[in-house]
Amino acid sequence: MSATGVLRPGEAIPGGRAARRSGGVWSVYRAERRKLSTQLATRLLAVISVLGPFAFAGVLKIQTGSPADTLFGVWVHSSGFALSLVVLAFCGAWGFPVLAGVLAGDIFASEDRYGTWKMVLTRSSTRRDLFAGKLLAAATFAVGLLVLLAISSLAAGLLLIGDGSLVDLSGRTLSAGHSLVLVVVAWLLNVPPMLAFTSLAVLFSVATRNGIVGVIGPALVDLVMQLLLLVGTGVWMHMLLAASAFQGWYPLFTAHPYYGPLVIACIVSVIWIVACLGTSWLMLRRRDFAGAPVARRAGWVMPVRVAVGAAAVIAFLAIAANWGPAGDTAAKLKASIQPTFNNLTLLQQRELGRTVAPGAKLNVLTNCSRRASTPTGPGDWICTLDVFIPQPGAEPFQSTPVSYDVSLQADGCYKATSPPSFVGQQTMKDGNGKQVVNPLFVIYGCFNPL
Amino acid sequence: MTTVAAVRATGLVKRFETTVAVDGVDLVVEDGEVRGLLGPNGAGKTTLLRLLFGLVAPDEGNVELLGRPLGAADTVCLEGVAGFVEEPTFYPYLSGRVNLELFAELDGGAPAGRVDEVLDRVGLGGRGGDRVSGYSTGMRQRLGIAAALLRSPRLLLLDEPTSGLDPAGARDMGGLVRRLAADGTAVLLSSHLIGDLENVCDSFTVLRLGKVVWNGSAQQLRDQAPGSAYRLATSDDARALELAEQQPNVHVTRSPTGELRLAVHGRVDAYVLELGHAGVAVRRLELVVSPLESMFFALTSDVELDSAALTELAEAALAGT
Repeated sequence: MSATGVLRPGEAIPGGRAARRSGGVWSVYRAERRKLSTQLATRLLAVISVLGPFAFAGVLKIQTGSPADTLFGVWVHSSGFALSLVVLAFCGAWGFPVLAGVLAGDIFASEDRYGTWKMVLTRSSTRRDLFAGKLLAAATFAVGLLVLLAISSLAAGLLLIGDGSLVDLSGRTLSAGHSLVLVVVAWLLNVPPMLAFTSLAVLFSVATRNGIVGVIGPALVDLVMQLLLLVGTGVWMHMLLAASAFQGWYPLFTAHPYYGPLVIACIVSVIWIVACLGTSWLMLRRRDFAGAPVARRAGWVMPVRVAVGAAAVIAFLAIAANWGPAGDTAAKLKASIQPTFNNLTLLQQRELGRTVAPGAKLNVLTNCSRRASTPTGPGDWICTLDVFIPQPGAEPFQSTPVSYDVSLQADGCYKATSPPSFVGQQTMKDGNGKQVVNPLFVIYGCFNPL
Repeated sequence: MTTVAAVRATGLVKRFETTVAVDGVDLVVEDGEVRGLLGPNGAGKTTLLRLLFGLVAPDEGNVELLGRPLGAADTVCLEGVAGFVEEPTFYPYLSGRVNLELFAELDGGAPAGRVDEVLDRVGLGGRGGDRVSGYSTGMRQRLGIAAALLRSPRLLLLDEPTSGLDPAGARDMGGLVRRLAADGTAVLLSSHLIGDLENVCDSFTVLRLGKVVWNGSAQQLRDQAPGSAYRLATSDDARALELAEQQPNVHVTRSPTGELRLAVHGRVDAYVLELGHAGVAVRRLELVVSPLESMFFALTSDVELDSAALTELAEAALAGT
């Protein structure tokens, strides 16, 4: 071989199969990165990621209502950090699976659609290089857009709402610095499940060779998982669903953070990544690229088979959702909602301009019960908190009962609402006459279901 | 320095369900050689090229490209090899230039100006910035050749390279292949039309039903050809027919349109001289079925190529079928 590395006629490529070559994973990665960045869908997603949170914050600025149905939603008018977390919670439920599908669902299938496998496989890169390079490019864009959303939502929140104190899931008020650290960590904890859904999109793309299935598939799987999270009382199946890993950051915002579900969320994400990518690679490495298959008339047999198979799997998972211990119990809910209610009541009193001694505690007697035949598990609960207020006279305490309807999820997080007759309206006037959020109107909290 | 063949395939077999697409094929292409891979549709040419590219795995047999064994599918890396199978394909939403830049990237990048250089070389210099979705079939074919040239290959494998090209484009392609071969590049061209490759190839391998039925140089193929056929017009067709009866290797008939058809086994020179001596002017003598074409037909069909069959072949060629 000449000094320039060009083969002369009759000269063998040195080194046999292990020879150094000009292509490779990074060559494929660069090419795929360029292809992705030229696609309209990718550019649109980037624009939405940057401008979406600003538009959301802008809309909030001009209206008084708040997305109270979302975790931290009640606080979006008072803390920019809450806005970022609302965006994160929404993305975790729906946005990230869609984003993963758009970015990775077509990355292999497009080669089938355009018939370009035979062109790319006859360059200096192996199938292994192509698989790894495409995967890396999809993962880079997926994580890149997640980071873009994180920065944009934080910037939108801080610039348009401000760095007001964030009220956590135990009713505590967090400093701006503490909030910032927790918000950043929360976004980062969504990277593993995001990669899990990206891997799922890759699997759809490789297995079906159909870009539409690849793009829509992850969102459909996410929808099914979200529904499965609502049924059953056991903890195991719920924790094995990749969608539940998007909620792994919730415990960070409690007074006593618990890391069990968070670690499990990361492990589950890794399992999904390995399973999806392993299966995809096995399919791709064995595939014969023998030209366009003989066109067959679209029949009903295959769609019916797929539908029946999917229904059977979903039914099995729904049954399996009862396996394992019930993580949601009355004792755990009571132990969580009582101190949270205490903290939020004290916050309310401070907001109203009343003096509250540091470390003050209410005398509360709490009773929680599930509105169903089984006493444990997610679903609708009712919690009654009897607040005993000291008073002079024959009866030393006046009992004020406050009743909350609690919607409890399998991951131990809940939303508790009470009629305005008990706790007042969603907003109230603070000590300065300014309209502020009534902390007791909606209570969000979490406890460890394990 | 050890000299190796650009392509050395031995005992290649590829089955698709019950069909044997390639059946025990041996193939050698030396450096600087332009070899034509001929065969009718379904003979196994494209499958053989796919095997050489590693796009499909052989059920039996081995392939060495440039002295390097083609490994398992996932490790196949075609360093120094370029070309395409069937029609070349591209990302339609990107320009021709960007497509080439992407392919160059898969090879580890190309020197500055290389993409424009190959675009100019295939006559697409002015259209490189246009989206491929707006390209004609011929332009895509040219772009495919440009993609192959990007990497300065030592081995070029092209499937039906003149498909979709106009006559000038096909001629340019032939010239390009000859120049590459002169520089030492081995070229394997497949076609089901021998006319496309007749003046380009040094040697031929003819496939039929997945098997090699003939292998040798272009000259050997011509020497063994059963004959050739011409369209003939003279000043005295009746006399030309009479004179043909005296020539043992010549058979002249009148076509339904009234034109003369001349089937020759061997050389036509003696008959033409005889016409001249007899005062019959030859106004037109057009080769309709070349010796290579007749040989190709003989090798790839079950028909014995006698004078009648040659004449029939000429009629079919003139009718464009």
